[in-house]
Formats: sequence, C-alpha cells, structure tokens
Amino acid sequence: MKKLLALLLALVMVVALAACGVTTENAAAPAASSSEEKTEAAPAAGGITLFNGKIEIADALNHAAEVYEAATGKHVEVNSVGGGVDLQSELKQRYQAGNMPDIFTCEGTPDFSNWTDNEMLVVDLSDQPWVSDTEAEFVYEPTGAVIGFPYTTEAIGLAYNKSILDAAGIDPASITGPESMKAAFEKIDGMKDELGITAVIGWCANAKELYWSTGNHMFCNYLDAGLARNDSTYFDLMMDEGKLDLDRFTPFAEMVGMFNQYSDPALLVSGNYDLQVSGFASGKYAFVTQGSWIGASLTGQYKELYDAAGNFECGMIPYAFIEGIDTILTNPPSHWAVYKNGNVAEAEEFLNWLAGPDGQQIMVQEAGLNSPFKSCTVVANDPFAPTVADFTARGKTSSWHFLEQPANMAEDYTGAIFQDYAMGTINTEEFIQDMVDTIPTAVGK
Amino acid sequence: MNENTAGKKALSLVLLVLGVVLLALALWMDFTKTYIVIDMGVKVALRGLFLVLGALLILAGMYFFPTVMHHRTIINILFLFPLLFTFAVTVIIPMCVGIFYSFTDWNGVAYSKVVGFENYSAMFKDPAFMWSLLITVLFVIVNMVMVNLVAFLLALLCTTKLKGVGFFRAAYFLPNLIGGIVLGYIWQFIFSNVLTSIMNSPHSALASTNTAFIAIIVVYIWQYAGYIMLIYINGLATVPKDVLEAAQIDGADAMKTLFQIKIPMIAATFTICTFLTLTSAFKQFDVNLALTNGVGTVRGFMGQRLSNGTQMIALNIYNTAFARDQFGYAQAKAILFFIILACVSLVQVRISNKREVEM
Repeated sequence: MKKLLALLLALVMVVALAACGVTTENAAAPAASSSEEKTEAAPAAGGITLFNGKIEIADALNHAAEVYEAATGKHVEVNSVGGGVDLQSELKQRYQAGNMPDIFTCEGTPDFSNWTDNEMLVVDLSDQPWVSDTEAEFVYEPTGAVIGFPYTTEAIGLAYNKSILDAAGIDPASITGPESMKAAFEKIDGMKDELGITAVIGWCANAKELYWSTGNHMFCNYLDAGLARNDSTYFDLMMDEGKLDLDRFTPFAEMVGMFNQYSDPALLVSGNYDLQVSGFASGKYAFVTQGSWIGASLTGQYKELYDAAGNFECGMIPYAFIEGIDTILTNPPSHWAVYKNGNVAEAEEFLNWLAGPDGQQIMVQEAGLNSPFKSCTVVANDPFAPTVADFTARGKTSSWHFLEQPANMAEDYTGAIFQDYAMGTINTEEFIQDMVDTIPTAVGK
Repeated sequence: MNENTAGKKALSLVLLVLGVVLLALALWMDFTKTYIVIDMGVKVALRGLFLVLGALLILAGMYFFPTVMHHRTIINILFLFPLLFTFAVTVIIPMCVGIFYSFTDWNGVAYSKVVGFENYSAMFKDPAFMWSLLITVLFVIVNMVMVNLVAFLLALLCTTKLKGVGFFRAAYFLPNLIGGIVLGYIWQFIFSNVLTSIMNSPHSALASTNTAFIAIIVVYIWQYAGYIMLIYINGLATVPKDVLEAAQIDGADAMKTLFQIKIPMIAATFTICTFLTLTSAFKQFDVNLALTNGVGTVRGFMGQRLSNGTQMIALNIYNTAFARDQFGYAQAKAILFFIILACVSLVQVRISNKREVEM
C-alpha cells in the first residue's frame, strides 16, 4: 500500500513536470498554429536592434530611429553603452545568450576578427548603395568584402584654443616643426598669468584612465603622422618585425617629453579624461591632446564651462615632431556590422536610410558627427568641424592604424611606459629603450 | 510464477525500448529544429510530449523489471531528481564545460581547435601571470595577518565599556556595506586628489607599483576589517562569564585573561575569520579594478618589463578573457586558481580545527 502510494506520488510529480514542459513548448512556438507545421526558429518579428558603442550620440540616434519609424513604420531599438564598457565582451555575452543585436559596433580588425575568424557571422555589405559613396568602409582583407558601415570619421591632431593663441600672438599655421612648436610653448608658458591659463597643454598620461589616449592616439602619430593615406611603412615595420624607426621615434619621444614638461602637473599623472577635457573647455589650457570627439563634449556636457570661457574657436595642428609633418589623422573610430542571423533586410534598409540625406541630417547636425559620405552636404555645428573639413579639403590627412595593432597593446604595454615617462622615473633615452624592448613582446614578435 | 516473471521482463523491455526511441526522436527534433505542433484543444508540441513520454516509459520499464529489490532506489532517485538536476545544471555541467574549454583556443564566440595542455604550460611561462600569482599570494598573507589583527583589536575596543560603543561598531562596519567598485573610486579620489594636495606630492600613490600595492592593502583592510570585527565581537560574547570570573578570582590580569582564556576560547572564531579573509583576499577583484586596474611598472621580472604591477590573479584572468579574447587560456588560469583556492582552504581548515578547545 505504502509503495503504491509512493509510486502514485512519483507519477504525479513527473506528470506535473511534463505539464510544465508542454506549456513552455506552447509558449515558445506561437507562430505555428495549424497541425504539423514546420518552422525555423523565427527571428523576433519585425524591428531591429542597434547596439551603439558611442554613448555621446545616443540621443541623436534615438531621434533618428523615431524619424525612421515615422517614415517607414519600421521599429529600430537603439541600445547605447559607453564610458568604459568593454563592447566586445558585452557582445559576446549577448551572443552566448542568443540575444545578438542586428547591428553592432566593432573597432578595427581585432574586434571584427571575433565575428569573422571561426565563422563568418557578419553580412557582406558590398552590394549596398552607400559603399560607392564613401572611402571609410571596413573591408575584410581575405575576401575584399565590405563588412563595416562607417557612421562617422574622427580626427586626431593637436587641438588648440584659438583665442589663447591669438592673445599670445601665435599663428597656429606657423607651427610646422619641433623648433616652432617649442618656441610657441615657451612663449605661452612665459605669458601664463597674463593669459589666465593653468598650463600650456592639457596632456594626461595616467595609465589606468587614459592608456588609450597615450598608447593609441599619441603613439599612432609616430606610426602615421605626415604619411599618405595608404602608407603604412612604420606600422608594418612594427607589426612584422617588432621594430621602431629611431630616426622617427626619437623626435617623437622628445615631443612627448616637452608635453610632459609643459602640462598641468595636477593633470599629468593623476588626472583623468574628465579633468582634461573640462580643463580645456574652461580655457585653462592652450592645447589639449585629444581629438575631434571632444567637440561634442564642449557643446554638450561642458556647455556651461565652454560658454563661460567665451565659446572660443577651436582648431587643430599636426603633431609636427619632425619639420614638415603637415597632416592630421582621420578615420572612422569604429564601424557598424550587420549580424548574419538577425533581421538582415531591415538592418540594411536602415543603414541605407542613415547614409541618405534624411539620416545624414540627423547624424551630422544632432549627433555632431563628421559625415564619411561624399554626397553629404550638411556641415556639423561642431567646434572642430571647420578645421577637419579644411584639412580634408586640402588632402592633408593621414589614416590611422592603431585599431589594427593587437588589442590591449596600449593597456598592457605602452600606456604604462608613457606614465613612467610623465612621472619622471625614466628619461627620454630610457623611454625610447623601454619602447624598443617592449614592442616586440606587445606585437608577438 | 516463472512465466509471470518472463512476461514482466518482456513488458519492461518493450517499455524501455519504446522510451529510448521516443527520447531519441525528441532529441532529433531538437537538433534539426523540426517543431511539430498538434492541436488537441490546447496546442501541444510533439517534441516535448515525446520527451516526457519517453522518460515516463523508461521509468515504468525500470520499475516493472523483475525482482522488486530496486523499487526503493528508483523512488529515491525520483524524489532526489529535482535537487540533482538543479545541482547538475548549476554546478556540475558548467564546471565540466569550463574544464573542457580550458583545453581549447576558445575566444568567447567559438573554438577552432583543441590545444591540449598548451594553455596550462603557457601560463607558467607567462611572466605577467606569474607576477600576478606572486603578488596575490603576498597580498593574501599580508591581509590575512593585518585584517585579523586590526579586526580583533577593534573587537576588543568595541567590547569594552566605552561610551558610544554601538556607534563605533556601526561606523567600523559601514565600509563593508559600500560596494567595492564605488569604494575603489572613492579611494582613487582620495589618493589622487586629496592626499596629493595634502602631502604636496606631484604624483598620486597609485602611480608607482609599490605604493599602489600598499594603497590596495590599506583600502582592503578598511573595507573588510569591520566585517571581521563583528564576527570577533560575536565570538568574544560567547566566552562564558563564569570562566572569566574564575580567572579574575585566581588573580589573572587583563593580558593573561586575553591570552590564556579569551583567545583559546574563541579559536573557532579565528578559524572562521582566517578562512574568510584568506578566500576573499584571494578573490580580490573589484577594489583592484577600480583603484588601479592592475597598472604598475615592474622591471626585470623573469627578464621582462611588466606593466601589470598591481594586477591580482582574478583581474588577470578577467583581462585575459575579456580584454585579450583568450577565453580558453583564461579558463585554464581559472582552473588553476580554483585548485589553489580549494587546496589552501582545505589545509587551513584542517590546521585550525586542531587548535579548537573542547568545552
């Protein structure tokens, strides 16, 4: 009797479990209603998700999605992350969870290789109409397929505050090499009180907070500044042989040493990005070692400081560590890829719309991005837009290659060397020597 | 009787075979994504139905298999099933998958080949990882001593008849309630902005490896001592009053009472506290991440210049996986980490248990 009861109970439990199983099954297959219907695992019906890694343009993108939905009736969900979030690890978690966005952000070759190396998980966009309208698309080298949509270009150069330079009587165009740069720095340094500035340059080498600024953005001037757009001599030398060209690197190191000398001591080692950009926005520094992306922060996040400092005009000069370097670096900082198993058709359609006049209107004017598309006629209302447009029009731009160097080269290797140099624990010769010693390990040679 | 057994055996075999076939069918449907749904008032997907029916048939088959000896076992397993299932899904299976991945070149999305023990041999040749291991051990030793010492002294203070003891207890415990990341940023501000201007030094303590390492230790003690203090207070409260009174009558002074009576009486508390500090110091991650993110220059360690001077092992594993995309390699490091942690904990508990006083 007891046994029978136990058996009965066990059966009841199993049946209960089974019931659960049936109901979930039922909920999981809502599409199939008639008997014996065969369906694929259906993508979420209608609408796409865009995974945006540039939090600064989140509002503008949301607006673009609204306008797009009003025009076409198709929904675009924008997920924006930023501020130190590791995009690729976030994406991998989503991939593992089967929750991949339809469009997502990738920075350079190492990021794309996550989605191309083992299995091609991104869509070949070569046949899209916008491809012929830009030179900034991301191309998958082995097959020549276009797999990245450029949504902006950014510029790296030595940014300056024009009103301070004017007050000091310095013409930015006259800074063409190390001597003229040194002369300008000395002159401004001597007039600090008069000009009401804290330091000549806002340069921060904090390896924890700004390794990307030093190890990537500053370092890539050694690799690319002054070269033609398709010239990758020094990058190849580094990647293939693990070598630095000392004829070029020594003057670069001296320029960095000068920045160390003339930077704000409170910022130099212990500062952070916020301190650096807000300092520039409030007119404390004549120069700042950040690129065109801080324009959006000047008119957005730090608007009050920038207004108080008189909405000064901004510009950029090349990092002319050798006489004759006359280019700034421009490239898309990242691209958007389309996920193969997502809603490809709608994703492509949205990207096309974004590359067109209506989309560019929002992307340029509201997000403050520099359009990578030739047909775009809208000019951004951004402090750095005129200077970037000027360099582009004169053909004085180089491309940058730091996105193709090993992921984390800056974080794990070079960033700390810049910090040691800034702290003064190593001098210029030791800085050069440390770099020469470290680069082979960093690039795996 | 004999015939009956034979009949039962045949029946049970049929049931078993049918059950296995149904299960296999359900699995096949799952792999090929063939979702067949039939409408019987409520919609029922055949895959799930097959799965459940198959399992039921196998159970019935086993139940009817001759000799009733094993009935109890079957029922026991049935009742244990929910627990075993949960344990398998949350612990056993992930663990096995993890060990498997440590033998591959998994990059977080997919793996292309099995590399054998390559990951394991690589980590011992990797100066950055060996450095992380070394400073983690150093960190654990220093903290195990310092946290327990500070916490015990605080506990002694907070069990005296001072005024406002309740306030002090709460105040010392408070840092433990702040999350590690927030705490790291608070202290980063203190080291980078406050201390630099008070001591008029050009660089924050976090900029060079040695001082940054001390900084992490200080913050960790600040965060953790209050928590351990509470446990010691609890332990001290359990020391019987009659024993203390007897000691007092025998003429023991405060020091003697402390070393001869109180400390031996709360040996069990010491076990718990050393165990807690040991394992948590080993797993130190969030303060490390927020305070220095592992940055720090080390020269000439295993013939290399390292940039991860303050990177503890947990942060090293995290960065290997998520920043360098070497998930397989990181997994191998994590397995080693697990083994070390398990061994140290076992040894530690065993040693401490011997010292406990039987009442």
